[in-house]
Amino acid sequence: MPLWFARGLRRGVVTTRYPARPDPSAAELPTPPAFRPDALTRELADRLSLVCPSWALTRNGDVLIFDAGACTACGRCREAAPGAVTASGEFELAATDPAHLVKRIPLLGEGP
Amino acid sequence: MSPASAAGDSGNPALPASPAALASPAEAADALRRSVARQFGRSLHIRTLDTGSCAACEQEIRLLTAPHYDLHRLGFFFTPAPRHADLLMVTGPMIRAFDIAARKTYEAMPGPKLVVATGACALGGVYQPDAFTHGTVGETLPVDVWIPGCPPSPLALLHGLLVAVDRLAAKVRDLTFTRSGGDR
Repeated sequence: MPLWFARGLRRGVVTTRYPARPDPSAAELPTPPAFRPDALTRELADRLSLVCPSWALTRNGDVLIFDAGACTACGRCREAAPGAVTASGEFELAATDPAHLVKRIPLLGEGP
Repeated sequence: MSPASAAGDSGNPALPASPAALASPAEAADALRRSVARQFGRSLHIRTLDTGSCAACEQEIRLLTAPHYDLHRLGFFFTPAPRHADLLMVTGPMIRAFDIAARKTYEAMPGPKLVVATGACALGGVYQPDAFTHGTVGETLPVDVWIPGCPPSPLALLHGLLVAVDRLAAKVRDLTFTRSGGDR
């Protein structure tokens, strides 16, 4: 019997069990941001929408509109405001309607 | 499905109820969509279409056939011809020069057919609409499933494909992308 066969048996299965079980490598994927509404001011929301290179963030009044479809998970908003923005950890983002990807994040409400 | 195989699968849940049993056209359309998805859930052939992407999406799509993800275990296969394809996987911002080719590819596919827009470009993220690009695939083709990501990881692509055939639910609708101060 070839050695690679015995080695494969000893090491176990290499293929992911993904749909049935979570894949361990998913934790290392770059993921879109998650926002802390209690830390988001209007001024900060404007700064984040300027920092975003892919037009995923815009401010409309007291709401930050986040288009998860447009987000490239580059992490620039996280770098700009580490206290208010973290990685969401969500990678299962497929949508049957693009409107489901547009999220309205409420702001703190206080002006600059 | 041929009559012979339909007879063999008597009581097949994939077959829709008779039109008289369904209340409205919308209900009938939904039942038909679900029955198509169940058929595709067993075996689905994918044709990829690059409409001006940077090839990062293609690289991730290529990884789906690697041993770690092993797309074939789920009944998905890639085909080089749109005439053999059930699902069109479109990457890139849909450059205007590609309109005719994209339409011809879509029309060459036998029905029923699905279109999956793949990556942030295809979803309107990276390129704004201008003289050269539509900025989103939805302008040219009827998209069924949208997969975000730049590029979407093979796991995200797998999830999107399984959503397209109704084997997994799309859960992004319920995500808020907010986190209260207590978390983390």
